[in-house]
Amino acid sequence: MYFAGVDIGSTMTKVVLMDRAGNLLSFIKGPTGAEHRRLANEVMREALEKASLQIDDISYIVATGYGRLNVPFADCQITELSCHARGVSSLFPNARTAIDIGGQDAKSMKIDNGRLVNFVMNDKCAAGTGRFLEVTATTLAIKLGEMGAISLKATKKIQISNLCTIFAQQEVVALLSRGEKLENILAGLHDALTSRVAALARRLGIEPDLVLTGGVAKNIGMVEAMKQNLGCEIFVPEEPLLTGALGAAILAKETYVKAAAAGEALPTKSRRLEKATFFSQEYR
Amino acid sequence: MVVQKEKKTINRLKSMYPLRAKVNETYLKSIEAIQAGKPAVWAMLNFYYGDPILKAMDIEVVYPENYGAIAAAMGVARQYLDRADAEGFPTHLCGYSLTTLGYASRMMKELKGQIPPEAPLGGMPKPLFLMSSAAICDARYKWFQALGRYMDVPVWPLEAPIPGIKEFFIEGYYDKMVKLGVKHLRDFVTFVEKMVGKKMDWDKLDKTANLMIEVNRVWHQVNELRKARPCPMHSRDFWSAMPAALFLAGDLEDSLRLYQDMYREVKDRVDNHVGAIPDEEYRLLFAELPPWHSLAFFDKLAERGWDFVIESVGYHPPIPVVLSQISDPLERITKFSLQFLVGYYEDARKQNVLGGTTAYPYLKYANEWKCDGALLHPLISCRSASTHLPYVSDMLMEKLKVPSLSIEGDIVDLRLFNPEEALAKAEPFEETMDYYRKMRKQERFDW
Amino acid sequence: MSGKNKGLSKAREIYLNRSQRARELKAAGKKIIGYPCVYVPLEMLTALDLVPYQTCGDMKEPVTEADRALPHAFCPIMRNCLHCALKGKNDFLEGMVTIHSCDPQEKTARVWESYTKYPYFHFIDMPITVRPEAVEYFKGQLDDFRKTLEVFTGKKLSKDRLEVATKSHNRQRALVTELYELTKSSPPLISGTEIVQVVKALTSLPVAEGNDLLIETISEVKKRTAGPEKKSARLLIWSSTLDDTDIMQVFEAKANVVMNESCGGVRAYRGEVKLTADPLEGLADYYLNEITCARTFRQATLGETRKDYARDLQSRFGYLRGAIRDWRINGVIMLLVRYCDPFAFEMPSLKDYLNSIGIPSIYIEYDYTVGALAPMRTRVEAFIETISQQ
Repeated sequence: MYFAGVDIGSTMTKVVLMDRAGNLLSFIKGPTGAEHRRLANEVMREALEKASLQIDDISYIVATGYGRLNVPFADCQITELSCHARGVSSLFPNARTAIDIGGQDAKSMKIDNGRLVNFVMNDKCAAGTGRFLEVTATTLAIKLGEMGAISLKATKKIQISNLCTIFAQQEVVALLSRGEKLENILAGLHDALTSRVAALARRLGIEPDLVLTGGVAKNIGMVEAMKQNLGCEIFVPEEPLLTGALGAAILAKETYVKAAAAGEALPTKSRRLEKATFFSQEYR
Repeated sequence: MVVQKEKKTINRLKSMYPLRAKVNETYLKSIEAIQAGKPAVWAMLNFYYGDPILKAMDIEVVYPENYGAIAAAMGVARQYLDRADAEGFPTHLCGYSLTTLGYASRMMKELKGQIPPEAPLGGMPKPLFLMSSAAICDARYKWFQALGRYMDVPVWPLEAPIPGIKEFFIEGYYDKMVKLGVKHLRDFVTFVEKMVGKKMDWDKLDKTANLMIEVNRVWHQVNELRKARPCPMHSRDFWSAMPAALFLAGDLEDSLRLYQDMYREVKDRVDNHVGAIPDEEYRLLFAELPPWHSLAFFDKLAERGWDFVIESVGYHPPIPVVLSQISDPLERITKFSLQFLVGYYEDARKQNVLGGTTAYPYLKYANEWKCDGALLHPLISCRSASTHLPYVSDMLMEKLKVPSLSIEGDIVDLRLFNPEEALAKAEPFEETMDYYRKMRKQERFDW
Repeated sequence: MSGKNKGLSKAREIYLNRSQRARELKAAGKKIIGYPCVYVPLEMLTALDLVPYQTCGDMKEPVTEADRALPHAFCPIMRNCLHCALKGKNDFLEGMVTIHSCDPQEKTARVWESYTKYPYFHFIDMPITVRPEAVEYFKGQLDDFRKTLEVFTGKKLSKDRLEVATKSHNRQRALVTELYELTKSSPPLISGTEIVQVVKALTSLPVAEGNDLLIETISEVKKRTAGPEKKSARLLIWSSTLDDTDIMQVFEAKANVVMNESCGGVRAYRGEVKLTADPLEGLADYYLNEITCARTFRQATLGETRKDYARDLQSRFGYLRGAIRDWRINGVIMLLVRYCDPFAFEMPSLKDYLNSIGIPSIYIEYDYTVGALAPMRTRVEAFIETISQQ
């Protein structure tokens, strides 16, 4: 008996396969891109191959993320908020707050008893998302993955005053030409991004343990900035991009097992792995 | 290192300084009185309607709107804004309201009623009651209602009727507005009496109302003198001198003398053709709220010959009206307050300008103060000070061939106003103003 | 208009082509008068044989025409309404009645009047409180409205005419109340989406035709065998206006919306106008007191010198408690457009009230464009997921 969680984010697609005991059998992540939004089936195929399984082996499939409606073979769609909350609390049983900073959005989730109980999202403004750092990496011609390490070398506190991602870049260029050191500027940028996210999270209140997920969690400079800004310990999973798909797989397992125990029939979709079309009538 | 002295191109009026100082003095005296235990009320700009009542009852008045501007200028607004955000207030709301809500949350929830130690200039104490006003915008009366989350103090929202320009001329319309105003104010007096535990001194109110009207009449005359060429008084002097009249700061007899002094000084300049700036090349109007924290920007423009001759209709005194024959001070106050709004209606109707009661006066300003251009300053979180601006721009061009330049800012996020960027737009705008001068000449306008 | 459509299918047809009946009536010689806000007393129009028509926006329209006179940081719904008007979508109107309910209504009214050329235009002012002098003032405003209507129509707005019209509009209120009784069951017999269509239809028809539509619909729905599917959540939507089925569909994908507390739902139809000696008094009293829009300032006791937050909340929002109980609502969505000040200031207090009576709620902001639907869907679904666990 196996279960699958498929998380189609705006930048990355992730699939997690799990067995009845909760062991992870495989996980895959690949860029979503414009075409890939319709190609969840490809990513799924890869994951199955890795785990030496067939699609028919999967008892229940939950899709989540921005593109969750584009997974025709998913039995059910659950929002990434519930899935992240579930995934995070399976890895960190004492987690009460989860903050996910993705490529295009940021969200804060309140967790109680392993479940989502409240949330707040920002998906209007790039200044509180991974995009902020991506744009900066381009402006400064450095690798996104190196930014964190460089920022940790900062010796001076710089305030980036611009609210807007685009105008912040102008400010960065101006600072460079004034002779400010790169590491100080980067630390300032991490600080600016952190304060946006912190403001979002404070709307719900921040209760420990606090877990940080999403691509930005791999940036050690960001983790450090968040520790300082929020004044508490920050836990980061080994694979910060996978908590959504992990949570989806766990919810798939729990849904299936619960229905089986109650003797209820669970509606499932056909196990044909095919591209999503815009006219598929299978969505409820 | 050579210390660069700020170039002062604008010839400031001597009589402006005591008026400006008066506002600070009054504020500091007020803080002292409050710290000594005098009751304080939080109020907001109410156009001469509620203020005389509070003044006659000798109540100290705190204006969170003004405090919001102070907090912004002193760089402490951010923490209060973040707090308001955390409390769940949507971020598009007026920056002053968010600052106050954040402040109230900090003072009441966190500090159990103690004034926050980081609050500049003595902060704002927990008030006896809140007096809001429907004038200008919805946010203002809803904001004081929302403060109820943090402070169990009563709220009194003052009514402020706003007629349609045509509808106002229906027979009996004005009288009904006055009836509402007078009855409402009478009930407000009763409310205030209960709150402070003493009766209204009607003689004092009578005197206060008369002084308020006279102070504003003189102040109005001062601004009429600015029609002269060259203009004797710059907008910077207007903004420095107006709070005393608009907020009835301190001793009104003292204010009256100071405005009379100002009248004499300005008249003197007019008679001797002395301008507010050395070479008046362009005459401009400004709408609506100035960038309080960046007023030196106008000095830079003055170096280019830009004289700001008229501004901010929301801050201007009403067109004078004779009210001395009215025995009831509440009726006098009501009519004076209504005059602020409806004083322009007759003209607006003649000109068939229906758009916005705050828009029409700019047409009169541009025409009578002979303006070559309009500098418009829309503010992201203050919609009521910004909504009419596209209409004003349209109206000025269509009716008078006067061009407008729009430069954005905000009331609390001061980073949004960029003086360098604004100055960069000045030169091309001069060419625009030159061009439209020629156009106006062709159309037989006299400026 | 095809005569064969009745009840729900007729409502659906009108929803998709709102102005059709108004155009037919205009061709037959009737005068159609537009109004942008439910605070306008329609009884006064009906009494003079004018056909009221609500001038709504359209979420699918890219708003371009409003740029002339309204900044972008402004109520997107009113911008949209103005855009539609300037684009000529309401060209069958003989006139407009605007009203000072909120800032955007007041400011757009001036612009609307300046940029269009209807034969009739009237602006009604409104006080912000419900104090006696305020109600008196509002009555005076309605009297002035009567004067310009009489000049425009050449007819007298007599007490008899007004009473007949008031009874007809009261009948509509009673019928809508009856319709909402049908959402009490589990599952509800009629969906939130269907009710949006019905209410939209009511704002596009003369009151008598609207009443007929309601009677047909109520009868049809009562006999229904295949109504909405039962979902895990029963929601109340609190909003300024919610009159678009696309939005409702986002909520109803995973919930039953059993109460729409907005101007596209139940707000304009509560209670009834009292038939007073001076009919304008009953109207002024009803519209100022009964319409539960956040723009009106209410307090537990008028002119109170003592304040208690819990009591204040009860006086402002207590009317929701009965509905939440009787319709067995287990979640509230507070849906606001960006830049709506009255509702935005109200929202945290409403949340406090709902918390005090143990009802979960969520605040969702949108900008009245189709692009807002996808993010809305995620938030709504996540909210339903959290309340379904309880």
